[in-house]
Amino acid sequence: MTGTERDRVTGEGRGETGRDRVTVSTPLRVLALGAALLVIGSFLGVLHHVVDVVSDPRTFLTIVVLTFVGATVLARYLTDRLAFVLAALLLVGGLGWYLAGLSGTALQLVGHVRYTIALLTGQSVLAIVNLESWVLAVTPPPVFLAWYLAVRRRYVASAVVGGATTLFFVLTGDAGAELTLLGVVGVVALVGVGELDRLEGSIGDADVVATVLALTILTSATVTLVPTGMGYTFSPDTGLEKSGFGGSGTSDTVEANLLDAGSELPVLGSLELSSAVRYRVQSDESEYWRVGAYDLYTGDGWIRQGETGTLDRRLGTPAGRARVLEQTYRPLTSIRTMPAAWRPSNVTGTAASTARATSLGGLQPTRALTPNETYTVKSAIPVVTRSELQSSGRDYPASIEDRYLQLPDSTPERVGERTGRLTANADNPYETARVIENWLEENREYSLNVSRPSGDVADAFLFEMERGYCTYYATTMAVMLRSQGIPARMVVGYGPGQRVSEDEWVVRGHDAHAWVEVYFPDIGWVRFDPTPTGPRESIRQTDLESARENDAPNVDTNDSQRGEWTSTPGGVDGVTPIQGTNQFNTSSIRRGQIPVNATITPIGQTSRGSGESDDDRTETERVGIPTAEEATLGLLALLGLAGMARRTGLSRRAYRAVWLRWQPRVDPETDVERAFERLSVLLARRHRERRTGETVRAYLDAINASGLARRVAAIRERARYSGTISEAEADEAVEIVDKLTRT
Amino acid sequence: MTGTEPTAASRSDDETVEEVGETVGRVIENVGEVIVGHREVVEHILTAMLGRGHILLEDVPGVGKTMLSRAIAASFDCSFKRVQFTPDLLPSDVTGASVYNQETGAFEFRPGPIFANVVLGDEINRAPPKTQSALLEAMEEQQVTVDGQTHAVPQPFTVIATQNTVERDRTYDLPMAELDRFMKKLELGYPEEKEESEMLERVVGRHPIEAVEPVATLSDLEAAREVTANVTVEKPVREYVTRLARYTREHAELGASPRASLLLLRAAQGRAVLEGREYVIPDDVQTEAEVVYPHRLRTRLDETPTGELFEETIDAVPLE
Repeated sequence: MTGTERDRVTGEGRGETGRDRVTVSTPLRVLALGAALLVIGSFLGVLHHVVDVVSDPRTFLTIVVLTFVGATVLARYLTDRLAFVLAALLLVGGLGWYLAGLSGTALQLVGHVRYTIALLTGQSVLAIVNLESWVLAVTPPPVFLAWYLAVRRRYVASAVVGGATTLFFVLTGDAGAELTLLGVVGVVALVGVGELDRLEGSIGDADVVATVLALTILTSATVTLVPTGMGYTFSPDTGLEKSGFGGSGTSDTVEANLLDAGSELPVLGSLELSSAVRYRVQSDESEYWRVGAYDLYTGDGWIRQGETGTLDRRLGTPAGRARVLEQTYRPLTSIRTMPAAWRPSNVTGTAASTARATSLGGLQPTRALTPNETYTVKSAIPVVTRSELQSSGRDYPASIEDRYLQLPDSTPERVGERTGRLTANADNPYETARVIENWLEENREYSLNVSRPSGDVADAFLFEMERGYCTYYATTMAVMLRSQGIPARMVVGYGPGQRVSEDEWVVRGHDAHAWVEVYFPDIGWVRFDPTPTGPRESIRQTDLESARENDAPNVDTNDSQRGEWTSTPGGVDGVTPIQGTNQFNTSSIRRGQIPVNATITPIGQTSRGSGESDDDRTETERVGIPTAEEATLGLLALLGLAGMARRTGLSRRAYRAVWLRWQPRVDPETDVERAFERLSVLLARRHRERRTGETVRAYLDAINASGLARRVAAIRERARYSGTISEAEADEAVEIVDKLTRT
Repeated sequence: MTGTEPTAASRSDDETVEEVGETVGRVIENVGEVIVGHREVVEHILTAMLGRGHILLEDVPGVGKTMLSRAIAASFDCSFKRVQFTPDLLPSDVTGASVYNQETGAFEFRPGPIFANVVLGDEINRAPPKTQSALLEAMEEQQVTVDGQTHAVPQPFTVIATQNTVERDRTYDLPMAELDRFMKKLELGYPEEKEESEMLERVVGRHPIEAVEPVATLSDLEAAREVTANVTVEKPVREYVTRLARYTREHAELGASPRASLLLLRAAQGRAVLEGREYVIPDDVQTEAEVVYPHRLRTRLDETPTGELFEETIDAVPLE
């Protein structure tokens, strides 16, 4: 070693305390850093998914890689204190940059605090406005700090930083069960292995950590670590209240998973709708009583981004011509939605004071409406003709394109390809929308009894599923439209319901519905409904009949039992509601049980019979390649089990047991030697082990071995020391030992 | 006495290990008729003879060293000479000398007592080193050189030397280098009480050594040596012997030499033949090592007896 080299080495040693040396690499160190990667990976997985939903994740990945490199390099030079300061600066700077990119109205301190609390109680980060910037702003600090600390051997601190970040996403509900578990496992491994590394333990001691991990993973396989549904949610508008999810039996619920007041709309599996009456609506026209729209498609559901605002700021009129329709809603149960025909421009009545408007222009109460708490909405209904729609072109405003053409990066290419083929002959967005609408109506069967597909919902409905309900139809149509560059959004609400008098409708739970709105320049949002009306009506009617037979509560009001005044407007043609009278006569349905028997398969039978086979099919489809998270967890569990087996000596014993009982045949010499080894194990168990310098003969004499054992020993002695062995002798030896093993 | 080689060579082909084992067994029985007890020593001497080794007998006087040697020689019907080593014994007294023959007018060689199949060198440590080395040269080279002329000793040729452990005065202890040439060092020890009284009963009156009849021929012995040399020594045994030697070298001041390993294997081959086996097993090695090793080892600071080191070696070195 030259003088300068020595100087450099000692200089390094002096620069940092011995414990914090960065340069030493041991297996435990590698394991600890691997665990740190697991922790960081768990929240990066969430962020990646989020970015993937809204845009191309390449920028995000670049930033992550740069952060890792930066943290590794800076770990050599930066003191802990400076690193914390740097991380804080990164966070503040990032958030400042993000907020600066928002419109001024979003900068309200109280609002942000409320919003943050909402995030921490289950509000998905996907609802954050300008999501990509937010992710890019918040990603570097925790990644930098956690990795920096891990490299500096501050494993516990690293686990705290990484674990807290993961915890945040667990609280927002964005971290799935697997990612959460990975994070937990990573934290445990990081603390355990890190401590071993710090105490300069041996790699053999790590099997304790592995054992703990395996137990964690296996236990969580039976007991879910992550609460799947929050009992309570905190909404920025309503404060803390009981979640609507999973409470479909209670009276104040909205239509379970089909229609929710919140900003998230997951697409779920089989659905049962209540026949209870929700509202009585007074209106001059039959309309779709619209509850809310969603703009962000996540692949497995929809999210409405942004916070709610006051009515005066958010309500307005369509861009094109419109006429006013006044509707008065009287909720008959306590309910948290405020339906209104598109587009609401004015709300009056007792409930008006609680109303706020979503960023998409829908109404949302800040508290549940009480029964008979009426409100009146004046809506500006767009008036438009077919030719206007056909000629409106594709000159979309940038704000519309930014928001309503979004598709997750993971959306399969084939969705766009098939849509492109289907709509090859369409000349304009309107025709494209009509083609998609008709195609879905004609090629998919309506059923409430479906299994939630894995992966992208639209892709599954387009390529794998044969039936579904309105959420599937609407989701798929919106995604198909977006794949063709046509702005579209998901809308939920209620169908017109049962008309009980000339200007009055009774709306029940099973009128809950989902459809699509498509944007046309200079006209605004226009409704399209890809769900086949006939089957939906049939199911609605059968439900209602059976609910009446069972005397279910709240099924009817005084006048609703008399029968249909007239029927709902058909949603078949997405444009016709504007004209108001595309009738679909369902009065015969009530009397004669499903008049459309000839054209539409009877629901009662198909949804049962084929519904089951449908379930089976989707079940088998679901068994596919495990995801990276599942694979990692599985691998960790296996490693842990191996560590556990090693620690308990189980693996050795199991191996011994098999080894002793099962002898594969190779060649006579090997066979005899192996037979003798087995014999030695047997004799060692029954008597004692042969000592190091003790010859076989002396040993057999000492333990007074049986003739059979001596025979095997003799055969082995000949084989080993005379170099001659016959097949028959080998067979004999193995046979004898087999026999001895069994006795 | 040197003309038996051709027959021996021809006979060795059809001699089997079993037959040789039987022959050796007969000799042991035969010796047992005159020598009471000491069966192990007799076996060791015979395996040494089979493995072409020489024997050093060390014990107090009067335990039957000479008698034993004579009995073995007589059983093989081979020539036997005894040399009593004394401080004034000259090398030529052992090897023989050139003598002027008046009739022929030339010097002729008169062979000394070393020209016999079995030579008993009694109390070898009492002779000066020069005389000792005359015997040792014959052992190693199978020949003696007198006046620049070499004379081969008769084959088979076995030296049994004895050492008196009682009188250490005016003795010349054999140096390690020369001890190393003896394959084995044996101790007779006193007979057990029963054996001793039986011996007395037999010997009182006429000593039965006079009545020993040969039970094997010289060519039998020659053939037996041939068979012994062909006994299989497989790799595991060779490796075991190597491990033993290395262990002694690591744990003693002077460990077993490569010659020791070679002699050990030859002795083990003899042991295998004695038991009628065509191959050497570790048991043979262990049995023979007990008498092959100790006289070659010197422990550090002489703190432990070599016998203990040997026991330790056998216990510690793994067999396979």
